Amino acid sequence: MIGISFARVLRNALRNFRRNVWLSIATTVIMTLTLLTISFLYAVNVLGVHVLSTIEQKVDIAVIFKDKTTPAQIQTIKKDIELRSDVESTRLITADQAREDFRRRHADDPYIEEALRELEVNPLPSSMFIIAKDPRFYETINSSLQSEKYAAFIDKVNFQNSKAVIEKMIRIMDVVKNAGLIITATFSLLVILIMFNTIRLAIYSFREEIDIMRLVGASRWYIQGPFLVESVLVAVMSVILSTSILYFSLHTMAPQINQFFFAGQNANFDIYQYFVDHWLQAIGIQFGAAVLLAVVSSYIAVRRYLR
Amino acid sequence: MITFTKVSKQYVDQTPALHGVSLKIPTGDFVSIVGQSGAGKSTLLKLLSAEEKPTQGNIVIDGWDITKIKNWQVPYLRRQIGVVFQDFKLLPKRTAFENVAFAMEVGGALPKDIRKAVPQILKLVNLLDKSDTYPNEMSGGERQRISIARALAYKPQILLADEPTGNLDALNSWDIVQLLMKINKLGTTVLLATHNDDIVNALKKRVVTLNQGKVVSDQEAGTYKL
Ligand SMILES: Nc1ncnc2c1ncn2[C@@H]1O[C@H](COP(=O)(O)OP(=O)(O)OP(=O)(O)O)[C@@H](O)[C@H]1O
Ligand SMILES: [Mg+2]
Repeated sequence: MIGISFARVLRNALRNFRRNVWLSIATTVIMTLTLLTISFLYAVNVLGVHVLSTIEQKVDIAVIFKDKTTPAQIQTIKKDIELRSDVESTRLITADQAREDFRRRHADDPYIEEALRELEVNPLPSSMFIIAKDPRFYETINSSLQSEKYAAFIDKVNFQNSKAVIEKMIRIMDVVKNAGLIITATFSLLVILIMFNTIRLAIYSFREEIDIMRLVGASRWYIQGPFLVESVLVAVMSVILSTSILYFSLHTMAPQINQFFFAGQNANFDIYQYFVDHWLQAIGIQFGAAVLLAVVSSYIAVRRYLR
Repeated sequence: MITFTKVSKQYVDQTPALHGVSLKIPTGDFVSIVGQSGAGKSTLLKLLSAEEKPTQGNIVIDGWDITKIKNWQVPYLRRQIGVVFQDFKLLPKRTAFENVAFAMEVGGALPKDIRKAVPQILKLVNLLDKSDTYPNEMSGGERQRISIARALAYKPQILLADEPTGNLDALNSWDIVQLLMKINKLGTTVLLATHNDDIVNALKKRVVTLNQGKVVSDQEAGTYKL
């Protein structure tokens, strides 16, 4: 008896959907758009967090020594730097080590191997990486490295003002997030309004039938169920639609997206792979939002027009 | 047994539609309820089907006090009480068969039971041959018989008929009354609210007369007199 009544509720829900089919489709489209903006927000957040952490990891100063700087001189400079109170640590890569590293990285490339052997002198310089105790200190460390004192030994100091980059990133992300939230809120409101009206119209077009249902002893679930189920069906269809759109657009656009966010940072983060790995979460968030919107709007309509 | 004990019903502040009504209706009775327009006949029936709740007094049906019935219990009550109206209230886009089946579906009957029971009910109201006919292709009398068939879908203990002959000519009206008598003979308690004095007089059944919400006469084998 429970089974058959559920089947009938489902049948009536589908019939409701068909009765105002264009309105139902419009609701589904708007709901899908809402879910896509929510997913977009989510993706931006994920990307932002990863971009920030790769940038933060990468923050350091790289000192490239001149070829003629002797190992002893390099050691002196290293000690000198390490004594600074704003320096956390240093890491020295001597020319020999650099060559070894290079060799190892191209171990399966015989041409490079040969080219290195033919060169009498090591073309790679010695270098040193400096990590500050706080990103804010890089500026001062950088400027002291640029001073006269080291000019004879240091070829180049590679320092990108990452703090500014990070701050800019955070600012951009905030703007995107706020815009996304406003768009999501607007769409959500639209979904609730349209869905509320769809259900209201459906109730209106079946009022005669509903009156008779009451008369012959239909339970509340039998009368109200179809409208709630109809809205949940719209929610489920929207989740399927938006997930498919999300999947295919990530599938085709992931390289460009990754390139855009991680250009020149050799980070091995792939937004498509992330989505595939976190599919349950991605669908779950959409499903939760969709069902919440659906149930809220249909419940209000049912409360209001089916008492 | 249906028992009304000092039942009053007051809609928004005006003179009460029912005032201190006490009645006992044994199971299997056939009671005509008569009275002028506005006397409270429909209100009395609506209290039984819980479309309205009494302002004062008690209503008990077979030991079930429905005076303060909860909303969720109403469907169970309605499945024990069939209701028939002057305007039939049939679904125009459904055939006679489907209209009757509709009531059974609402109650959760299985399709195979519906397929079996509906023809039996249609046969009882003598409309088996109109199974696939839509309401607008039927006469008023036929439509009313379909609506009675629907009311019988749950095999109710009680049948409430609120002016079922109001839209029908004399011949059709008489048909409907015959049908109500037949249903009553099969054991269902019938309450018939009507204006039709010819019918009431011919029935020779119990007659309760209401006037301005009060029972002014209650006679076995009574007649219509106002
Ligand atoms: N829903 C309502 N709201 C307010 N007043 C109502 C309502 N229903 C009925 N009444 C009033 O209650 C009184 C009794 O009405 P009721 O419908 O029971 O009379 P009736 O005997 O069935 O009349 P009729 O023969 O015209 O059908 C009338 O005065 C009517 O105006
Ligand atoms: Mg009336």
